[in-house]
Amino acid sequence: MRQAEKNATWWSAALVLGGITAAMTPAILLAAGGAGVGFDAVVRGIESRYHAHANKIPFMGLISLVAGHATHGGVRGIHIAEIEHLDGPVDGTELNALVAAHMGAGWQRIVRDTSRSGDEQSLIYVKPEGARLGMLVVDLDHAEMNVVQISINPDKLSDEITEHRHGKSSDDSDDKSDEKPDSNESE
Amino acid sequence: MKRNTVLASLLALGLAMAGAGAARAQDELPAPSPIEKTLADRAAHVTEVTLDKNMLAFAGKFMNKDKDDDKDDKEAKEMIQGLRGVYVRDYEFDKDNEYTAEELEGLRKYITSSDWSPMVHERTKGAKEGTDVYLKLVNGQVQGLYVLDAEPRELSLVLILGPIDMDKIGSLGGNFGIPKQAVKDVKKAQKEAGK
Repeated sequence: MRQAEKNATWWSAALVLGGITAAMTPAILLAAGGAGVGFDAVVRGIESRYHAHANKIPFMGLISLVAGHATHGGVRGIHIAEIEHLDGPVDGTELNALVAAHMGAGWQRIVRDTSRSGDEQSLIYVKPEGARLGMLVVDLDHAEMNVVQISINPDKLSDEITEHRHGKSSDDSDDKSDEKPDSNESE
Repeated sequence: MKRNTVLASLLALGLAMAGAGAARAQDELPAPSPIEKTLADRAAHVTEVTLDKNMLAFAGKFMNKDKDDDKDDKEAKEMIQGLRGVYVRDYEFDKDNEYTAEELEGLRKYITSSDWSPMVHERTKGAKEGTDVYLKLVNGQVQGLYVLDAEPRELSLVLILGPIDMDKIGSLGGNFGIPKQAVKDVKKAQKEAGK
């Protein structure tokens, strides 16, 4: 391969990497939210306190990008961690304090659902980010805990849902005019 | 003379700020009552929902846009987006009578001030269970709704702040953590008040 071709290949690779990094930066910043706080800090805090290991979904960054594209920015910055064997009852107050301590500034809890037995706990935190809304859900169902963070744009997401709903209703009817065959596959 | 003027100005400023602070406090969701903590400690299951004005504005955006053409739904959506806060607490207990009459009274008094008028106070003689519905009326307009529903093993309190169209109150039931029963209680109270 000639030197000029090699250079061109390197430049292309660098541009692709740069593009991916630029696209992922908001999601990474959202998850980190500053030093020692954010999604990863919450998950690490839970792992440390309950001596558990969280499974991260492979290619989540890519999935998040695709979701962002598919919803026209309605949903992006998806982070999911799953803890499958969380031993022992979880004290709701302690879990809430732990999550709150690792969330970082600006987050507010909107829902807390807790059982004294300790096997069912749900927390929902939100953070307004201009037109978007960051949302973090911590859900424990017996020994399985899921931690999910997303960033949503209510306007865009609502438009997207409405569009799909219209697609479905027109598809359900006998009118098979100009509806694309895959228009409601993601329903 | 000059010193007196400065002092008077500072006093006026202080009073104005205190007044503004009090007015703001009336508009904002309350800090949890200490009674809530003791109830939560005793309850087998606790649900807490706290939505401020910003959250309600966001939540309103998720309401079905398909129905924006429907006048009633559009008005309900506008009402929700205009609310200043929703505060819901639900405590489920393992046994009957896990709360006291004093705690109920404390929860009633903690929220309601002079602006609040009792709409319904339903109690069976000698029993703690029953329903209280209060309205916050400002210049004849409903600016708040407070429902305290006490069942033998469940205690629910719902506080909604902001301009409320009582005809659209049904749209809140089952949404934002507001129990449908609370809305039913309010509708029942409306009917009885209309008799």
